[in-house]
Amino acid sequence: MGDIRQSLLPRDVLSAAKELLYHLDIYICNLVQSGRQTPQVDTKTLELVEEFILHSPKDRNVQPRRMSALQELQLLEIMCSCFQEQSRDAVRQLMFSALFSLQGNRADESRMALLSKLVSMAVAVGRVPILECAATWLQRTHRVYCVRLARVLVDDYCSLMPGSVSTLQNIHSSSPRFCCQFITAVTTLYDLTTEDLTPPLELLQMIVSWLQDDPRLVLVTLLNTALSGSPPISSLDLTPLGGLVRWCVKAPLAYGRSEKRPPVANGTAESQAAEAGPLFSTLHLSVLQVLMMLPNVLNEKGLFGRLALLQPETLATLTSDLSRLLDLADEHGPPGDAHTLSQLALDRLAQALQVALANGALLCSREDLRAICSRLPHNNLLQLVMSGPVVYYNNIHTPPMAFSPHSAHSPISSHPTHQPLPPHPAPHPQYPAQPFLSPMPFPYRPNH
Amino acid sequence: MSAQKDCEFMVQRARELVSEDPCAAKSWLITARTLYPADFNIQYEMYTIERNGERTASAGRLLYDMFINFPDQTVVWREISVITAALRSDCQDKHALFLRGLFETLPGRVQCEMLLKATEQCFNTLEKAELLLLLLKRFPDSVVQHGVNLGETLLEAEVSESLETPVNCFRKLFADGQMQGPPEVGSLKAQSASRGPQRYVIDGLSEKSSVVAEPWDRLLDILALVGARCEWQGDKGQRSYVDMLQRVKELCRYLPSLEGETRSRCCSQVVLCSVLVLFRSAFLYASSVQPTLFQGLNTLSSGPWILLEDLSLVYSDVEAERGPVKHAHKKRKLADGREKTMALESFRTARESWDLLHAHESLETEFNKICASWKTDNWLWFRIFLTDMIIYQGQYRKALSSLVQMAAVQQPQPGQQSPSGQASLESSRALIQQASCHYALGEHRMACEKLLDVVSGLVAPTLDPVTPLEDQGKAKNKSRKGSDLRLLPCTSKAILPFCLQLMLACFKLRVFTDNRDDLSLGHVVVLLQHDWPQGESLFLKALEKICHQASFQYENFFNYVTNIDMLEEFAYLRTTEGGRIQLELLPNQGMLIKNPCPSLGGVELNTLLLQGVQTIDRHHTVTRGITKGVKEDFRLAMERQVSRCSENLLGVLHRFCLNEKVMIIQSLP
Repeated sequence: MGDIRQSLLPRDVLSAAKELLYHLDIYICNLVQSGRQTPQVDTKTLELVEEFILHSPKDRNVQPRRMSALQELQLLEIMCSCFQEQSRDAVRQLMFSALFSLQGNRADESRMALLSKLVSMAVAVGRVPILECAATWLQRTHRVYCVRLARVLVDDYCSLMPGSVSTLQNIHSSSPRFCCQFITAVTTLYDLTTEDLTPPLELLQMIVSWLQDDPRLVLVTLLNTALSGSPPISSLDLTPLGGLVRWCVKAPLAYGRSEKRPPVANGTAESQAAEAGPLFSTLHLSVLQVLMMLPNVLNEKGLFGRLALLQPETLATLTSDLSRLLDLADEHGPPGDAHTLSQLALDRLAQALQVALANGALLCSREDLRAICSRLPHNNLLQLVMSGPVVYYNNIHTPPMAFSPHSAHSPISSHPTHQPLPPHPAPHPQYPAQPFLSPMPFPYRPNH
Repeated sequence: MSAQKDCEFMVQRARELVSEDPCAAKSWLITARTLYPADFNIQYEMYTIERNGERTASAGRLLYDMFINFPDQTVVWREISVITAALRSDCQDKHALFLRGLFETLPGRVQCEMLLKATEQCFNTLEKAELLLLLLKRFPDSVVQHGVNLGETLLEAEVSESLETPVNCFRKLFADGQMQGPPEVGSLKAQSASRGPQRYVIDGLSEKSSVVAEPWDRLLDILALVGARCEWQGDKGQRSYVDMLQRVKELCRYLPSLEGETRSRCCSQVVLCSVLVLFRSAFLYASSVQPTLFQGLNTLSSGPWILLEDLSLVYSDVEAERGPVKHAHKKRKLADGREKTMALESFRTARESWDLLHAHESLETEFNKICASWKTDNWLWFRIFLTDMIIYQGQYRKALSSLVQMAAVQQPQPGQQSPSGQASLESSRALIQQASCHYALGEHRMACEKLLDVVSGLVAPTLDPVTPLEDQGKAKNKSRKGSDLRLLPCTSKAILPFCLQLMLACFKLRVFTDNRDDLSLGHVVVLLQHDWPQGESLFLKALEKICHQASFQYENFFNYVTNIDMLEEFAYLRTTEGGRIQLELLPNQGMLIKNPCPSLGGVELNTLLLQGVQTIDRHHTVTRGITKGVKEDFRLAMERQVSRCSENLLGVLHRFCLNEKVMIIQSLP
């Protein structure tokens, strides 16, 4: 491939890119046909992509070539049809990763920019093959970049163009895999810590309606992924469950808080909170319903009791966030309201914990739960969940309750980076306020 | 906290939330359920929310969970029975539809299981059978397992509840079950299979509560099924009832040559098929003859009909008729207008099947058994046919006793009379037929008694010209030559002429003998006015007799004779040319004195009586003898009568029957 560089150089930007895509296609086809176990695109080729498609200068001295907006649009169109017309999955995947797999170099910025535009376009014109490739990309790429892609889509479809949400809405039927990864990405992105990280109402409505249509959507990635190899480091969660739980639990207080921010623009925050309330209630129910489906799904994959879809660590983060929010609410809020909202948040937390625990999504003991929740204020249901059911008789229908870490199988964590909890965790000091994700200070949060 | 209190707490929270935030309520209950999966109240609350929200799928799912996990909870069974009740009913309201929808969301296996369990739980045989039937209908595969069971249960129940008629709800279900069962299921034995059809007969006939669509067609289907199972002779295809009768008729010819098993099988085939043809035809006949019996089924006829002797020959010469009083019954023919052909055709087919059933002793025995067990004696419609058939056969005595019984049954209840007077018309049916039978037996006095009873129940004819109907009647009379039974519409208009004809027939035979009986002769003259000039020759014969007697006394003459031809003839009789016949035709004094002051209105009856003569009696004391005054009276009366010629004749004759009832009857021996 390297030798075509000379023929590409004299061409104009667009035709050079086109020419390269053409050669790339032939090259990868040959690669796949050669029958090698793991076909790999060589570095030379990757460099050509960076130079002629991403227009990242080979060395600092060379002024990068730039495409006009029109040329860029034309290139995207060509790429779209290129992926659309390629009938072989393997070739398409390899091509996509040759173009968009992050290489840890300076070209990654333009790579992300082009990818975002391509995916956004694929959503708009319904190019399913591209969405499928993007879904795989979202599984293999560091979550930082995943949320960046998600953010572009949300901006494009929920913020920039009112009324275009319906276009995005359709991805759940055209590419459930992409849709599932998208949900995971946005729930990771919007953690309700600031107003900016509060999901737009349109996005919330869309996700609620997706899950109401088919709650299994949340499990698509899990269902389609062979969990033999360990997932790439710091990729997105296998399911959006953790993120969704966080949304539902924090929502009553997060939205309440935004109300009191001094410069409330035009009362939209208030009305947003009123509209979001029922949506989160519905979403929370959907989450519980998905959790109820888990035993079947996990048993089918032989993973029941071995795969923790919710990590205690994530929950610990959640409880400490929640604890802070509760304090804030106590300080600032009107007492009655604050109490109701606090109790709602705690009720939801207790419900999620209990249902997750009962259905094998959370692999820990009630003891562990007590530790995780120890700093939270009193709530009847939470109390009940932490102490567990009163057992009078040996109940034949007892579902898989607290899954003890002592169990024969050692739990597989979808985040191998995190160590499982020690058998008898000590009280809360073990769970720092900013744990686990702290090494990476949320660089993907917007800087403004 | 105890487990119970935990559960109560969570259910309570859900209840508080459900109206405002149903999702939150459900979240509470899901949580509660994972904590206490064995607690019934939690799951019932979940079910209640889904049911009240009319979400069929989730409600169905939850119901099934409860059905599996809490089989001992009465609440669950109450729910299931409400649903199965909805499945059994035809109710189309929203709730019933929801419940049926809920059931439909369950997977087939679960439905089957639920119905089966529900059946087991049910102690009411009828309901149980209905459930089982529902099960069989939906899951034909389960027939092998449960079909026999159903049959047995039903037959047992029938015995244990000792119901009055063999046609009951159990049989109904039984028959239903048979229709739905696949034919290859051999477990339903032929013997029991034959009970199926009974229900359809009756369903079509009486049980309005459970109307079967096209019962007779379905009956044919069943019969084909039964036939196949019982290895009957002949093809298995569905034929018409008439074809079927022809086939068993042929079969019947071989019957004497058959023996043993074959014979009894053939016998039962002939009997069953003939019985069904008989019942169907008799039913069709009865329903057109007396449509009120089966309201809704009659499409052809508008009112009841009576099968009666044809009296079109009543005006013919006495001599011709005096000969053979007994009819050659076998040659009797039924003929009538086209609109009645259907009814008569049914009558004929029914009679044929009846004859076939009595062609052999073994058939008759079998038939009688069926009649006894089906209690056909209680079927009014069948008796109507039977009676008509006996009349047709000329067994008048037998017919009379049957008619008397029927008349008692059909006596209209006070206050029950339909606005059209239909009910009373139907009750007079039996009376007319009785009269007809009495007449045929030569019991003329009895015949007249019945006839006058009928007439007194009729509405007085209106002043409308009756000619259209009369004309029609006459036209038919001509074409009806040689036939002697006819279907007569059971209406006042049609009945009155018939009564008059029959009365005439009664008196005619008495009058034209050598004995002198002026009263009867007078009645005949009055009656001959009807259908004039049909009776002209008889009238001339009567005049002949009067001339022969040289005198004639009939005090009602001016009350009821308004025919101008007759008046002319009588006026002529008094003249020298006419033979100076001594006529005493004016009412006698005694009768006049009864009502000295008619102008005051008085009783209608007397006013009517005196209508024609009241002007005269004011001035004259009427005495017998040929006085000048009397002559004058006669002349005046005649003149007056001429002015009455336009009076409604049927009205006059109706009055005649009402007012002279006693005298008419007494004038017959």
